[in-house]
Amino acid sequence: MVRTPAGMRRAAVAAVAALSLTGLAACSGGDSDSAVPGSGGGSGDDLAASAPVAANLPAGSTMEKIKQRGELVVGGSLDAPLLSQQNPATKKVEGLDADFGRLLAKYIIGKPNVKIVNSASETREALLSNGTVDVVFQTYSITPERAKQVAFAGPYYSSGLVIATKKDETGIKAPADLKGKTVIAGANTPAIPAIKKAAPGAKIVTFGSDPECVQALKQGRGDAYVQDEAVLLATAKQDPSIQIQGKPFTSDPYGIGLKHGDAQMKQFVNDWLKQIQQSGLWAKVWKNSIGTVVQGEAPQPPAIGSAPGSE
Amino acid sequence: MNVITDHLGEFGDGLLLTVELTLLALAGALATGIAVAAMRVSPVRVLRAAGMAYVEVLQNIPLLVWLVIAVFGLPEIGVIAGLFTTSVIVIALYQGAYTAEAIRSGINAVPAGQGEAARALGLTFVQSLRLVVLPQALRTVVQPLGNIAIMTLMNTALAAAVGVVELTAAANRVNLAEAQPIWIFVTAGLAYMALSAVFGLVTGGLERKLAILR
Repeated sequence: MVRTPAGMRRAAVAAVAALSLTGLAACSGGDSDSAVPGSGGGSGDDLAASAPVAANLPAGSTMEKIKQRGELVVGGSLDAPLLSQQNPATKKVEGLDADFGRLLAKYIIGKPNVKIVNSASETREALLSNGTVDVVFQTYSITPERAKQVAFAGPYYSSGLVIATKKDETGIKAPADLKGKTVIAGANTPAIPAIKKAAPGAKIVTFGSDPECVQALKQGRGDAYVQDEAVLLATAKQDPSIQIQGKPFTSDPYGIGLKHGDAQMKQFVNDWLKQIQQSGLWAKVWKNSIGTVVQGEAPQPPAIGSAPGSE
Repeated sequence: MNVITDHLGEFGDGLLLTVELTLLALAGALATGIAVAAMRVSPVRVLRAAGMAYVEVLQNIPLLVWLVIAVFGLPEIGVIAGLFTTSVIVIALYQGAYTAEAIRSGINAVPAGQGEAARALGLTFVQSLRLVVLPQALRTVVQPLGNIAIMTLMNTALAAAVGVVELTAAANRVNLAEAQPIWIFVTAGLAYMALSAVFGLVTGGLERKLAILR
C-alpha cells in the first residue's frame, strides 16, 4: 500500500525511458550509416558501437590491468532515474552515468564491459582507495575536500540544485524564500550545505531516497524539496502534483572519481572525455538520457579541469 | 583528526538526540513490556491471545519497516506526527515486545508458590502481580533488560532513515562535507560503544544490588 506510489512512478519512468529508447533507436537507425543492420539493440548499444577505442595503453598502467581483467568496475547507482537506473525488465542499467561508464569501458577494453558496484556516498572514497572499483560514475560532485581523498577527471556534466514544491505552492520561487520554511533534502546530498548557505533560517529534514523525499513533500512534512535538477526533472515529469520552481541556484560539476594519485589514469580519462565531447558522442549520450525529458539541444559540456578540485 | 574537532557541535547534537531517543523509547518499552507480559500471564484467555499476537506481530517485522510504515503510511490515513515523536513511539512499541518476553521469563522464574500464597491471602490477580510477582520478576531479569536497553540504543540509528538527525545521521552529514568516512564513522562507533558501556555498568550495578539468590 505504502510503496505503491513510488513503485508506480518507477514503473512509469521505466516505461517512458523504454519508449524514448525505441524512438531514439529508430532515429539513429535512420540517420546513421554506421549502425549495424539488424542489431536490434537499444540506442545505448548504438552509442557503444560508434565509440572510440584507445590506440595503445601505457605498459604497466591501471588501464592495462583493467583491459587484462576484461571488465571495468564502476562504482555507481542502480536507482537513479535518467542517470543510472537498472531497468527491471532488461536488467540493463540505463542513464547518463551508466552510458558514460560503458563508453569508457569500450575505450579501455574495446568492449563496453562494465560491472556496476552499487556504492553509497559514504563509501565511495573508501571503495576507490582500496581498489574495489576502478572509477566512480555517480553524480559525484567535485569538491576540494573530496579531491583530497580521490582524483577527479572531468567535470563531465554540470548540474545544479533546484527547488520543487507542491503545485499549489505560490510563496516559494527562489532560495531566499526558503527562510524559516521546512525543507526536505536527500540524506547525503550536497543539497544540505547548499540550503544552509542559501537560506540559513531553513529547517532541513532528510530522507534516504528520492521517492521518500517526494512522498514526504506530498504529505506536507516540508514546504519544499531541494534536489539535483537531473533527478527532479524526471520526478516532476512523472508526478504532476510536483512543480519545479525556477532555475538551478547552484552549479554542481560531476566528476569521474579515480584513485588518488593516479595522474596517468586521470590524464587518460580526460583525453577520452575530450574525444567524445569533440566527436559529438557526448551530446548523443545526453540526448539518450536527460534529453528524453528536457526539450531542446544538448548543452555545452563543461570545460575539463574547470571545477575546483579537478585541476 | 581535525575532521572530528571541527564538527564537535554536530556530533554533540546527534549524540544528545540519540540519548533522548533511547531513554524515551526505553521508558515506553518498559511500560509496554510490563503491560503485555501481564496480559500474557493473565487468567483471561482473550488477553493472553492479544498479548501473544502483539509480541508475534511486532517481533516478526523489522524495525526499519515499522518506521517507514509509520512515517510514510500513517499520513496516508490522516495521521501525521513529528518525525522524532513517531520514531520514539515506534521504537518503544517494537522494543516493548522484546521487553515483554524478558519480563515473562522473569515471571516464570518466580516460584509458583508465591503466586498461590498471594491468592490464598485474598489478593486479586492484579494485586498479586503488582505486589508479589512482578517485583521479584523484575529483579530476576535485570541483565536481559540491560541487553534490551543496549539493543534499543543501537536500533535508534534506524531513525536516521526517516529523517531524525541522531548520531548516525549527524555522522553522515559530516562525512558528506568532509569525505573521510573512516575517521567519522569510527568516532560515531566509539560514541555508541561508550554509551553501551554506561548501560552495561548500570545494569551490572543494579544486578548486584537487586539479584535474588535462590
